Amino acid sequence: MSDSTLVSVENLHFSRAGRPIFSGVDLEIPKGRITAIMGPSGTGKTTLLKLIAGQLTPDSGSVHVGQDNVHRLSRQALFRMRRRMGMLFQSGALFSDLSVFENVAFPLRVHTDLPEHMIRDLVLIKLQAVGLRGARDLMPAELSGGMTRRVALARAIALDPDLIMYDEPFVGQDPISMGVLVTLIRRLNSAFNMTAIVVSHDIKETLSIADHVYVIADGRVMASGSPASLREAQDPRVSQFIRGEPDGPVPFHYPSKNFYEDILAPSEVS
Amino acid sequence: MSPLTSLGQKTLDALESLGRSAIFLAQALCHLPRAEGVRLWLRQMYFVGVMSLPIVAVSGLFIGMVIALQGYLVLSGFGADEALGQMVALSLLRELAPVVTALLFAGRAGSALTAEIGLMKATEQLSSMEMIGVDPLRRVISPRLWAGFVSMPILTVFFSVIGIAGGYLVGVDWLGVDQGSFWGNMQSSVVFMDDVMNGMLKSVVFGVVVTWIAVFQGYDLVPTSEGISRATTRTVVFGSLAVLGLDFILTALMFGEF
Amino acid sequence: MKRSKWLETGVGAFVLAGFLGLVFLGLQVSGLAPGQAEQNFTVHANFSNIGGLKERSRVTMAGVTVGRITDIELDPQWLEGRITMKIDSDVGEKLSEDSTASILTAGLLGEKYIGLSTGGAPEMIKDGGTIRDTQSALVLEELIQQFVSNMSK
Repeated sequence: MSDSTLVSVENLHFSRAGRPIFSGVDLEIPKGRITAIMGPSGTGKTTLLKLIAGQLTPDSGSVHVGQDNVHRLSRQALFRMRRRMGMLFQSGALFSDLSVFENVAFPLRVHTDLPEHMIRDLVLIKLQAVGLRGARDLMPAELSGGMTRRVALARAIALDPDLIMYDEPFVGQDPISMGVLVTLIRRLNSAFNMTAIVVSHDIKETLSIADHVYVIADGRVMASGSPASLREAQDPRVSQFIRGEPDGPVPFHYPSKNFYEDILAPSEVS
Repeated sequence: MSPLTSLGQKTLDALESLGRSAIFLAQALCHLPRAEGVRLWLRQMYFVGVMSLPIVAVSGLFIGMVIALQGYLVLSGFGADEALGQMVALSLLRELAPVVTALLFAGRAGSALTAEIGLMKATEQLSSMEMIGVDPLRRVISPRLWAGFVSMPILTVFFSVIGIAGGYLVGVDWLGVDQGSFWGNMQSSVVFMDDVMNGMLKSVVFGVVVTWIAVFQGYDLVPTSEGISRATTRTVVFGSLAVLGLDFILTALMFGEF
Repeated sequence: MKRSKWLETGVGAFVLAGFLGLVFLGLQVSGLAPGQAEQNFTVHANFSNIGGLKERSRVTMAGVTVGRITDIELDPQWLEGRITMKIDSDVGEKLSEDSTASILTAGLLGEKYIGLSTGGAPEMIKDGGTIRDTQSALVLEELIQQFVSNMSK
């Protein structure tokens, strides 16, 4: 593993309820860059993030963050490692009993002994960065989906982590807040040199900010490279995904027997 | 699947779930409390203990009154109505206060704990707490467990005191049992270390078991709306059954003469 | 996080009231009196028939409860029921060597208890001593049997 790599995933196997999700995934996430992990829904992109964060344990294979093998760490060491990580959940996952301000202050309060006025300054800086300094006294239930995600982003970067993971940051956002998020992700990366992993299937936005892209399908890495090289890719499965064609090598239909036979088959309903 | 296979599978599942919950309890309790933890515990004491007080008080009052009324009807047949105080106090202290309080607690506080933790799980709040580097077992689970453990004996004391007051109200004020013999008979038959303390011991055991079930069901549920509703039901059903079953065992151990 | 004072006060009141409730259960319901002499004076007594006496049965003197039975066993030497009771120490110190212990019944069918009465000897019983003069329980069946056999003579 070279010095410029922050996260490396080697020969990762994982299955859930007997169904294989990953069968031999290898990934390298370079330091200070935005790496995108793309793939159709249901290929386990979120699962991959949870494996990197140590919330799930793989069947075999290893995940290294820095020098640490994530799944060999003790429970305490694992929690210590996670302080250097931030994760933006798809739902935002704000603590519903705390205000916006307290949500962002939460990591600072539990992990630092800073005096109250410094916590206040830091929280306001983070909220300013996501443009929600004025919303600090609202409760999570009073926020729109886009605002929720921006507060969650402020909370994820509260401790200035080395690595931040975005789980589907663009899903369900209107074009304006999508633009805001794209700008924020890019700015965080360039201004603070934060390593980022973006998991998404929104092709246009993801390709516009990523330095490097992995495409995952059928439990393994199908293609990787710069956004430009992927656009040029010859592999029909990759180009189908990148261009968003409904049918192709990745079938539109869930595997089933012949439609004609199924229709004519004697009724299964008893 | 043959019935035998499915029975075996169910047994294995139940064993696995029991093991998981025991590990869960050990992990949640095995660490030193900190100043932060005390504040979180206070907060939960309020929701779990203080908020359960009204329902416990009202139930205690009515149950005390009913025992006095029923007891009077039976005892006055033998001309033994001055033994009313002893009957009210012993039945409350030994059985009714610990058991009924635990059943009410499972229904009110237990189901609320399960639903709250389940919703935190479903909205990924527990997961995001882990990602911030905070162990939810410490931050979310442990204060709730301790609040339940401490609240139950206190609520049981309330139930007994208010129940005895209810018995006094009906027996002495309405039915005209002599006040002196009401208290006197009670005092000569109730032994503090045996009757009061055994009842307290029962309530401590019930508090641990009911809270454990409630919190574990919330933490272990399938994070969907159906999962939450199933887990809440399970908390009340398992909690109540555990209380009644354990009550028999504890009573046999404490008062039985083998 | 807002430090809500009323919340902490509420919990404080809750815990305090619980403690007071326990004190009430101790004093008013169980009749423990503060400053009451501790029941730690141990006396033994042998009875040829203990007839329904139980552990935790009352020990009285002049009708006043002064202690409880803590242990009942069979004396292997004399094959008698050997009873251990704990009574108020200030009462125990005034028991003379020739005190008597009898098994009494509350009413015709009520609970059995022990009645103590002191004698006139100058020596006092020591803590852990034994009362010699005992009167066993009246067993209703035996009384009836005697009555019937006397009648038939």
